[in-house]
Amino acid sequence: MNLELYRQGTSFLHAFDARAKLLLLVPLIVCFFLPQPWEVLLAITAAIMAVIAAALGPRELLQPLKAIGPVLILICLLTPPFHRDGPVMLRVFGLALLTGDGLRETAVMLLRFLGITFGVFAMLRTLPLDDLVLGLRWFRLPYAACLVMIVTLRTIPSLAGTWRNVLDAHRLRGGTPAKQGRRKIVARYLPLLTSVLIEAVKSIPALAMALESRGFGRRNPRTAYAQLKKGGAFFRDMALCLLASAMLLWPAFVRW
Amino acid sequence: MKDDRPVMSPAFRVASIAVLAAVTTVLTRLVQIPTTASNYINLGDVVIVFTALIFGPFSAALAGGIGTALADLLSGPFAFWAPISLVVHGLQGLLVGLIVRARPSNVPLAILAGAVGIVIMAGGYFVAGGFITGFGPSLTAVPLNCLQGGVGVVLGLLVAATVERAYPPVRQWKW
Repeated sequence: MNLELYRQGTSFLHAFDARAKLLLLVPLIVCFFLPQPWEVLLAITAAIMAVIAAALGPRELLQPLKAIGPVLILICLLTPPFHRDGPVMLRVFGLALLTGDGLRETAVMLLRFLGITFGVFAMLRTLPLDDLVLGLRWFRLPYAACLVMIVTLRTIPSLAGTWRNVLDAHRLRGGTPAKQGRRKIVARYLPLLTSVLIEAVKSIPALAMALESRGFGRRNPRTAYAQLKKGGAFFRDMALCLLASAMLLWPAFVRW
Repeated sequence: MKDDRPVMSPAFRVASIAVLAAVTTVLTRLVQIPTTASNYINLGDVVIVFTALIFGPFSAALAGGIGTALADLLSGPFAFWAPISLVVHGLQGLLVGLIVRARPSNVPLAILAGAVGIVIMAGGYFVAGGFITGFGPSLTAVPLNCLQGGVGVVLGLLVAATVERAYPPVRQWKW
């Protein structure tokens, strides 16, 4: 199981501050939902793809494209029939299949989906999840919420291992049911899920005690080993982030 | 009637939400049951229903929301669905938990709660997907989401009953 999208590197995207990346993601997503011509969305999407190609290499563009390919095909097939205004461009048996409006809307939807996918991919590919949580903490997300995220991320590998062990144990006992149809899913997964969930809930009291013994719940001032970078680089990245945000939102503002 | 359950410490609440969120993530990402040639359903909803029945609405909302959001974040190209999953599955867990809260052992009520959860989940993804990919493509995901929710309710109810019987201390852990 892939536990993180992050890949180590030394590119300028890797060096970009986590808080600036998180902040930039907001105008990036917002700009794809503003009423803008498809040409503007195309320019933004192309810019994001160019940044990924320059920082991580052109091959990195293929992974998200492969995964979202079926969705892109669905958008191309199913968006035009819902938009029938404008000049008819394709008619089959007297039925208008593709109109100018439908084509424009399809382009907008495709570019919106591509742009958001690549934008989030660029962030997560160059940002460790621990830094993501530290960034969220800097934006005043409560400590308990960040702790839940960190503990969850640390617990996932052991639970994935438990799931595999339980699966193997049930296989060794010949637990794969011969029943067919709807009952098959219940007969196959009920014993597995029961075993894994009992293992998981049994670990809760020990984890709670570990958290308490490390001071969770006390009112003392909290210290942290892991910290995001401070000083000039942070301010430079924040300034770049604000500049990029202004550039992303400017066309919609001018149009409005 | 006096509630004689012990008061949960903040650390216990954090630990329970974290562990249940981790189980949700693992079962969402690791278990993929093929339905048609190219489609899969996952078992994340099972844990949400289980948590709502055993641990209560707030644990279900937080564990379900955070668990599915993390599963999306770890999935790669579909990471931007994380905030949507956080809200949709969080709301699903909260509503299922709130409905069954009054009578936890009432099976018809639990099935009704599960059905409400399915409507919230499938409807939430349909509306959110409509804004991102368009309502046409988003409509194609509704049957699969309903199927996944249905499997989640059936297995969630059964697992809650078996876990409660096999490990009775969980009866004290609702909050």
